[in-house]
Amino acid sequence: MAVRSRPDGSPLSRRNFVKGAGAVMAAAAAAPALAACGSGGTGVATSGGRTTITFASAKFFAQESIGQIVDEYNNSQRLVSVQFQELPTPSQSTEVHQQLVQSLSRRDGSIDVFTGDIIWISEFAGAGWSAPLDSYFGPSVKAQYFPGVIDACTYAGAMHALPWFIDAGMLYYRKDLLAAAGVAVPASWSELVAGAQKLLGAGKVSDGYNWQAKQAEVLVCDLVEFIGSNGGSILAPDGKTVTIAEPNAVQAVQLMVDTFSKDKITPKSVLSWDEVPSELPFLGGKAAFLRNWSFVWNDAQNKSSSAVAGKVGVAKLPAFPGGKSTACLGGYQFGMNASSTKKSAAIDFLTWMSSPATQLKWATQLGLAPSRPSVYKQPELAKVNPFMVSLQDIFTGGTPRPKTPKYSQISLAIQAGVSAALATGEVASNLSSTKAQIEQIIG
Amino acid sequence: MRLRLGPLLLVVPMLASLLAVSLYPVLRTIWLAFRNTSLAAQGDRFTGLANARRLASDSHFWKAWRQTLEFTAATTIAETLLGLVIALALYKRFRGRGFVRAAVLVPWAIPTVVTARTFSWLFDQGGLVNYLLVKTHLVGQPVNFLGSTTLALPTLMAADIWKTTPFMALLLLAGLQTIPPGLDEAARIDGASSWSYFWRVRLPLLMPTLLVASLLRALDAFRVFDLPYVVTGGGPASSTETMSTYAYNVLFSGLEIGYGSAIATSMFITEVLIACAFGVFIVRRVRQEG
Repeated sequence: MAVRSRPDGSPLSRRNFVKGAGAVMAAAAAAPALAACGSGGTGVATSGGRTTITFASAKFFAQESIGQIVDEYNNSQRLVSVQFQELPTPSQSTEVHQQLVQSLSRRDGSIDVFTGDIIWISEFAGAGWSAPLDSYFGPSVKAQYFPGVIDACTYAGAMHALPWFIDAGMLYYRKDLLAAAGVAVPASWSELVAGAQKLLGAGKVSDGYNWQAKQAEVLVCDLVEFIGSNGGSILAPDGKTVTIAEPNAVQAVQLMVDTFSKDKITPKSVLSWDEVPSELPFLGGKAAFLRNWSFVWNDAQNKSSSAVAGKVGVAKLPAFPGGKSTACLGGYQFGMNASSTKKSAAIDFLTWMSSPATQLKWATQLGLAPSRPSVYKQPELAKVNPFMVSLQDIFTGGTPRPKTPKYSQISLAIQAGVSAALATGEVASNLSSTKAQIEQIIG
Repeated sequence: MRLRLGPLLLVVPMLASLLAVSLYPVLRTIWLAFRNTSLAAQGDRFTGLANARRLASDSHFWKAWRQTLEFTAATTIAETLLGLVIALALYKRFRGRGFVRAAVLVPWAIPTVVTARTFSWLFDQGGLVNYLLVKTHLVGQPVNFLGSTTLALPTLMAADIWKTTPFMALLLLAGLQTIPPGLDEAARIDGASSWSYFWRVRLPLLMPTLLVASLLRALDAFRVFDLPYVVTGGGPASSTETMSTYAYNVLFSGLEIGYGSAIATSMFITEVLIACAFGVFIVRRVRQEG
């Protein structure tokens, strides 16, 4: 389906691809050097002695890109040989999920290593399909990643995925309009409402704040951010206690309603908007603020389709008084099949794939944002993709969606319940019936 | 009568492929509807009527069922009436008729996903429809077509009617062309007005085509998926959830194969009932003629 909606927030775009392709060629030139340093020592014949493992991943950008990085690994050492099995693109995440589930549930080790959407980690862990990784990656390794993504990779106290790349919700704003009207970049929701109303009142824009409320996965993302910024959550850390109807959550959802009913800073059609419909008015210069994923940045800088090139700033999403800015985490992470019979080879591959040097490659060649804060300090990243460097601060507030093996069912219940709360304005009653439904699903 | 093996053998491949692609999936789905098969929860047991009981108390399912029936009824009736009007107009001889007949089919040729995207842009609050409505002072404020629980489903119906009316028109035009032109002449010599010619001669003769065409349309409309999936995602407040989008979500997002098959089976049963209702009409019609 040619619909460009990306609830997982993967920063796909043609421009990125072209840019990435150029960088890949540069990397290909450097590859022999890497291969040389990996093969120093042994000098033993390579064929026959290698352990072959299978790596399944959704297709990012082009087959060549992931395949080339895998080839670099294959050329860098002589013990492990990785076969890359390509799954559909992340925009067809339902199909990717289905294929992984079918393969993993056979428990035959037909794939050893895979990548999956951040929201599948608990499901795979709960079913016993993904191996716990704590014995391979200790606390000192975990400390090298953003805490939010380690949280997302952890199920029932054990790490079941190794971070790959991340994305998160962020606030886009019109630098030029804010400066002209003397409005500061909002840190709180009330500042955002006031700023948006000021620009609306002056007739500078027709939309104040655009976000996403379509009955779809993205609604859960926006919800996590609104509720999280008021110190609330959907599920308690135990994964069983439902907190979606607590007073701080009700207050946050009431703010979502208020944006289009009381404060009138958001058009009512937000109820049918996912990522792209909310982005278009912003690119057309008609909106002051926009909540979206990192892909919007490249779209906004494209002069042929954007009226706001060079006029856009990015910041953390606002928060309630006493709350903390929250950014819903997306992205794909690495997992290891619990039924794999070649675990040590798989771990060697995973370690390499998630290492700072390889993460820099993902970032510069494929536009995938690193899950390690240290990579953001690399001068090479600042040269190739200065925007990505500015995301480090936003990703620090990254928060996972509810962690439960039944996430997909719970997500559907949340989408229906919160959409009803927004459409009717009856927040408390709809949230408590959503709570009851989630409790029933969790059992 | 002696059964001859030769012809029978020739029929076998056709029968086998029909059974494989048509009967087997239906039976398999019905079989799964009585199991708790789930890829995510790894269950696969016979659970009898557990899925049916869950369906009976699933308010989301009944909402989707009702909305799908509303969608089916409204679009089928509108498409049949509009299609009839267009077919009558296209039957008349006029200059450029060939071109108009071809042009009318354009909406039908557009992929539904494209129609869906186009309508979501047209009917957005900042879209062309609202722009025109506000400019012509028909409304004071832009109408929230797609974000309102009362207007979202009718907007999707409008999109479906726009897209599928040409198909009905074409079927009915074919039906009109089977009516012998001599009847028109005979009726006029007998002094019948155009009006009574239409009601007493044309419409009764067109009725079998009309009923079969609406039956096809109704069964197709009942499976509507792409429009709500693309435009509204079933929202707001599940007001555009249809049987197909709900079954898809349960089957492919939730991976609850058993329960999802129960929903699919209930769709199958509803479609059989719709077909039977039309069947009664069609049989009665044929008897009257016979």
